[in-house]
Amino acid sequence: MLGHTVLMLGVVITVFPFYWMFVMASNTTADIFSYPPKLVPGSHLWENMSKVLDKTDFWGSMALTIVAATGTTILVLLIDSLAAFAFAKYDFPARNVLFAIVLATFMIPMQLALVPQFVTLAWLGWVGSLKALILPGAANAFGIFWMRQYAKGAIADELIHAAKVDGAGFFRQWWTVGLPVLRPGLAFLGIFTFFTIWNDYLWPLIVMTDPGKLPLQVAVQQLNGIYTTDQSMVIAGALMSVIPLIGVFLIGARHFIANLAAGAMKF
Amino acid sequence: MVVSRRRLLALSAGAAAAGGLGLAGCGSQRSLGAKDEITLWTWDRSVSDKLVGAAETKGIPGAEGLRLSRTNIGGNYNTKVRTTLAGKSSVPDIIAINWDVATYFPNQDEFVDLNDFGAAELKNRYLDWKWKQCVTPEGKMIAFPMDTGPTALFYRTDLLKDAGVSTDPAELAEQVPDWDAYLAFGRRLQKSRRNTVLFPHLQNVWETRLGQLPARYMTEDGEYVGGRDEIREVFELGERVLKDGLSAGVVQDSTDQYGLITSGRQPAAIGAVWWGQLAPESAAPKTKGKWRVTAPPGGAANVGGSFLAITRYSKNPEAAYKFITWLQSPENQSSAYDEMSLFPSSPRSFELPPMRKPAPFYGGQRTVDVFGKSAEQVKTAFISPYDRMLHTVFFAGMASLEAGKSVARAWKDVQDKAERELTREGAI
Amino acid sequence: MAVTESVQGSAGERRRATAGKELDGSRPLPGWRRYWPMYAAVSPFFFLFAVFGVFPVGYSIYLSFMSWDGIGDMKGVGWENYAYLLTDGDFWQSITNTLIIWVLSTVPMIFLALVIAYALHTTVRFKAFYRVAYFMPNITSIVAMTLVLGSVFSNSSGLLNNMLRAISAGEVGWLSDPWAMKVAVAAITTWRWVGYNAIICLAGLQAISSDIYEAARVDGANNRQTFFRITIPMLRPVILFVAITSTIGGLQLFTEPQVLFPDAAGNVGGPGGEATTIVLYLYQQAFIFNRFGYGAAIGWALFILIAVFSVINWRLIGGRDELAADKRKGKRRAR
Repeated sequence: MLGHTVLMLGVVITVFPFYWMFVMASNTTADIFSYPPKLVPGSHLWENMSKVLDKTDFWGSMALTIVAATGTTILVLLIDSLAAFAFAKYDFPARNVLFAIVLATFMIPMQLALVPQFVTLAWLGWVGSLKALILPGAANAFGIFWMRQYAKGAIADELIHAAKVDGAGFFRQWWTVGLPVLRPGLAFLGIFTFFTIWNDYLWPLIVMTDPGKLPLQVAVQQLNGIYTTDQSMVIAGALMSVIPLIGVFLIGARHFIANLAAGAMKF
Repeated sequence: MVVSRRRLLALSAGAAAAGGLGLAGCGSQRSLGAKDEITLWTWDRSVSDKLVGAAETKGIPGAEGLRLSRTNIGGNYNTKVRTTLAGKSSVPDIIAINWDVATYFPNQDEFVDLNDFGAAELKNRYLDWKWKQCVTPEGKMIAFPMDTGPTALFYRTDLLKDAGVSTDPAELAEQVPDWDAYLAFGRRLQKSRRNTVLFPHLQNVWETRLGQLPARYMTEDGEYVGGRDEIREVFELGERVLKDGLSAGVVQDSTDQYGLITSGRQPAAIGAVWWGQLAPESAAPKTKGKWRVTAPPGGAANVGGSFLAITRYSKNPEAAYKFITWLQSPENQSSAYDEMSLFPSSPRSFELPPMRKPAPFYGGQRTVDVFGKSAEQVKTAFISPYDRMLHTVFFAGMASLEAGKSVARAWKDVQDKAERELTREGAI
Repeated sequence: MAVTESVQGSAGERRRATAGKELDGSRPLPGWRRYWPMYAAVSPFFFLFAVFGVFPVGYSIYLSFMSWDGIGDMKGVGWENYAYLLTDGDFWQSITNTLIIWVLSTVPMIFLALVIAYALHTTVRFKAFYRVAYFMPNITSIVAMTLVLGSVFSNSSGLLNNMLRAISAGEVGWLSDPWAMKVAVAAITTWRWVGYNAIICLAGLQAISSDIYEAARVDGANNRQTFFRITIPMLRPVILFVAITSTIGGLQLFTEPQVLFPDAAGNVGGPGGEATTIVLYLYQQAFIFNRFGYGAAIGWALFILIAVFSVINWRLIGGRDELAADKRKGKRRAR
């Protein structure tokens, strides 16, 4: 019973900001700032949301974010599953050195390269373009490390032998033996990458200079910057930006949490 | 969650195709917008929405077949513009620049020289000091005058009445001629409403007072004058404001700042003309008719006011120039005042009908009488390329005063910091 | 730990893989024809990494010796950026801020995560619901939630101060007082990561073999004793994992203070810059004040700081290898 009491109290604190977000988004700014403040949802949700749609290119931002997150996810899944499959199941000269390099890249904080990365993209003429959002994020060392650990345990050597005997080359083995077995791991890595890119803020804040092409996080922050005085509208925008994410999460939550925990235990 | 191999392959093929198209399509577009578009970056409430809207739908007057495309940039506008110039991609044709146009002088090559389009012909239409701010030391005109920011004392009549203070503009101006009187006025208001304040934060005191001084941080000869007594006195003024509890100490530019207006905790403010739009009219629309303006205590000042510049990436600088001069014609400046409280930089607009209209938000007061007078008395101080950086330093100093530092300490820290930064920039 | 373990692991595998090939009976192909597919498989990562990792990092060394606003011409300034950095009070303040916020968030976070994990471990019903509820903050966007929590913390009209006023407890300058500001940032970080870490700790708890508890019970240990003598020591590797990830995350904190304290005329991190973290300071210098060279130098300082902390972490873990091995054994037995 004590356990439940503690847990429920924790849930209330954890969930409260979501409730409060809804309260703010559904009241007028004046109601929020007045004293005593409104503590229950109001009737202005649609009004605030349509203001957001009216004043910003919300759907454009949403589409851009979905494309960027999906694009990065697919690239990461392809690149990482191939590399992880090779690292986990094959022997080739310099393999360990190469893998050590992959691990070493963990060490480098992205912020170290923040300025030069921006300059690099400026040279390429990619500042403000979708490529700037997708490609740098596709070099994902964590994914390779994680998938390799997963592949090591999940893919039986016998399966690869059988495929070899059938005359399958490396890529065919990856396709027919590796991918089907790696599927649950890929699903986790996919969701994880998708969330990471969706929520990424610092990099897009710097590199997405074209105001017609702002990913959601930056768009919401800009909304706050432009319309500071209309908080209920700003929070309505924030609400709209997290709803799809919560939806995706609730669908895949069980699987995702289980894998995340398992991943941490592998370290 | 199931990722089938087939789906993965199909998706990646799609992504590769889309990526390929993207690479081919917009490889490296230096200028923002379509060929028939002139793109303009502004911040909210910096230009007339009506006029810009007309240029967006009907096209740019004088430039056949070209349309305007305007975007409001949020957050730190300046950062966005500079990052875009550094990124060299998707640079708009025209950018709005705030009061600190001089900070762009070191990067004057990024802009076209408006003299090439015959800007000199229009010189006599605009205020001389405003025009001078557009020209770099090398004589290149990189920007065009937009609005100015003459200040006034804004106040809420109902709350002043509660405190037994006169609400007549002329009488109030007479009773509150200087800062001493203004602080006394604040203390009096506090007697009827205990937590009344006159400033959201000390940075506001800094900004208002600095505008009233004949010089800012640097002289035209590049000498640093931010350490003079006159400036130090502003720090002492800040201390007095704190002692009287007349500063709310909210975070600069935060929602709290406008909450003060909404809740009526701040019943008066010394603000530039655009402040009326930004604060009471949007944060407290229910107080319509209760506000008035009058001459500001401590003297007239100019705070803010902005410019328009054409970037070197512009697809059609000629059309961009046509748009700018049309938008800032005396007629259009006067209607922008009526619509958005953007005060003209062209004295010719002062006499035009849209400017003479009574303002309903201010109980039918003819506000141009107050701001126009203020504009005439403005002391115009030199603005250097380092002013924005120094502004940041002094703002931080005022904030530290508010956070509990002594005047002596805050002053010393600010001076050290200013000198250090100026040395690094190679300015002194 | 991750590094040593996996490198050791791969040596063992190489033997297995080689042995496998001999079993095949097929004759080995000449070098490149046999190996090119593997190189092809790992090359996309290395290609992307070269363009977006190696090159920028190398270039940032060069940049850190330059004075450049990103638009005009570069000017070499030698060690000036680094010399300025060492005497830059704002930079040191940003390090102090970051470390204080890190302590203020990590300590309560680990404690709460353990409590929640333990409560979850011992409860049977609604487990799935609790796990999802606790995990939610972690997947929702920091920007959106910081905006919401920012209005809760807001000084004059925020919910928190309104509540404090209602019970006549006075008000706290959540967005202006040097300490309260750090607490506010830390609270948002804690809120976001407690659930995540609780789930990780829960996995650690579940991995502890029930045999050990059984044995302890036979030996007459009570609940308290088993918790402190068995549960906590066995969880040590997991707690360290949590500590490492939150150290790296904590040193790179940016979004929360950046959104909570909107840049006011170039000043970041709120009044007095009391909530300016290292990365926020880097952002301010490089992208608000356009000092690309100086920004690169700050990047290197951050790198060194993270390296130092990583070494400390590895040291700490070095002595725990035995425990980790025990844990794995326990896991296998439990299955």
